[in-house]
Amino acid sequence: MSARVAPRGLLRAAITVEARKARSAHVMLWTTVLLVAGIGALALGILAAVESGDAQVIAKLGPLVGVGGWAGLVGIVVQITAAGGLGAFGVALSWMFGREFADGTVAALFAMPVPRAAIALGKLIVYAIWAVGVALLLTGVVAGIGLVLGYGVTDAAGFGEIARLPLLVVLTALIAVPAAWAATLGRGLLPGIATTIGIIVVAQVLVITDVGAWVPIVAPALWAIAPDSVPAAALLTVPSVPLVFGALCALAWARLQLDR
Amino acid sequence: MIPRESTALRLEGRGLVRRFRGGAGLRGIDLGVATGEIHAIVGLNGAGKTTLMRVLLGMLRPDDGEVRVDGVGLRSADAATWARVGQVVEQPLAYAELTARGNLEIAARLHGIELGRVAGLVDHAIEEFDLGRYARVRTSRLSLGNRQRVGLAAALLHEPAVIVLDEPTNALDPAGVILLRESLLRRAAAGAGILVSSHHLDEVARVADRITVINDGRAIGSLDPDGVDLERAFFDLVLGDDAARDDAARDDAARDDERRDDTPRSAA
Repeated sequence: MSARVAPRGLLRAAITVEARKARSAHVMLWTTVLLVAGIGALALGILAAVESGDAQVIAKLGPLVGVGGWAGLVGIVVQITAAGGLGAFGVALSWMFGREFADGTVAALFAMPVPRAAIALGKLIVYAIWAVGVALLLTGVVAGIGLVLGYGVTDAAGFGEIARLPLLVVLTALIAVPAAWAATLGRGLLPGIATTIGIIVVAQVLVITDVGAWVPIVAPALWAIAPDSVPAAALLTVPSVPLVFGALCALAWARLQLDR
Repeated sequence: MIPRESTALRLEGRGLVRRFRGGAGLRGIDLGVATGEIHAIVGLNGAGKTTLMRVLLGMLRPDDGEVRVDGVGLRSADAATWARVGQVVEQPLAYAELTARGNLEIAARLHGIELGRVAGLVDHAIEEFDLGRYARVRTSRLSLGNRQRVGLAAALLHEPAVIVLDEPTNALDPAGVILLRESLLRRAAAGAGILVSSHHLDEVARVADRITVINDGRAIGSLDPDGVDLERAFFDLVLGDDAARDDAARDDAARDDERRDDTPRSAA
């Protein structure tokens, strides 16, 4: 009567289950569509505004205005992504973790052979795979925009600039991981979203005040605006955020009690 | 297969205490579910039935007491222990974005079933709980009762030896109630130990081997499933317990007053 267990497959089972939930949910699909299409549309709009001589947009872009070509396009996209992408990634994580509490499905995840810590790690692994997919998709869309604008001919040598984009998207996804921990501790989506907003605000303020190349949650945004001001070693500190908060998340799920 | 001759307890809680702010919680409950037994717990809202089930399943850590699941203490329970458990406490495993079949497939994986056995077990669960019409329908479009059927099928498809169900007939239509009743009787006959809570005394009497009454976080007595007027027997127990507690509280207050009166006051 009792089922046999394949212990080695428990994390794999958690990843399979979480991947299936993420694939079936409209939240992840619409977050991808809105992020990629939104950033693409915004970049095109900004380029059109610069072309038409819009003084406000030109003032806000600052030194990026005169750059042009692939470097100009990628510069605009990474600046939008550093804030907008972080928001989208934080919302996705808040949903993945917070929905279990909001929907009440967390109770069904107790008393299972797949440990809750494995479920939390499964969620983070699926999130990471999704974020890499978003990075590649956005890069493809931006490459398409550049080619349509003729940069393939006029600035063929600058095409390498586009390699910054997937790296920035992935780094941005990594610094959103505290949202998962907050959604777990706060037992819902809103604490995760509030934490995401907090990270965006702190990162942007520190960037403006030119502080924090070595602060992991700041480095990606600073690198987006001024790549030369962030040493490569500073970018290597960014994975410390998902490592620390991913571990905290797994611990919180392992020790979870339905006491609220 | 579960050895039917085994007399070990499938589920056991000893001296379980869990206090909440405001005074609610468990106040020292002993409870066991034997192999092949359906043990029902009944009580008024807030009596502590769900808290007891949560503590028994590791959803809440007790302040005191010990839980054993199929003979294994909760601290030592590993994947093999939990693979023998099926439960629905409050929300069933029924994700809105998945079809009924999708939910059963992920439930099978979470119960530790190898990939090759999933399809067969899911087919069987769909047949057992008459979910064929809804197998490919998103759970968000199902009625509350059918979502409950999906959750019950998800909890039972791996043929658990230990089954804990909190008010499982809630939202079920009469056909669903009969399906569940037959399902539980069949599993108990095969050796599973089943703990079930309910407000429906008639329904409980049809399936339970033993009925324990919970009140104010304590097990205050039992009802005979074959008794003629369960409702009356239930209220006699609960109201008698409430009256005894009220009397005890009044006695305590009177003793406190006497102690205060006897205490010499300092001179002004």
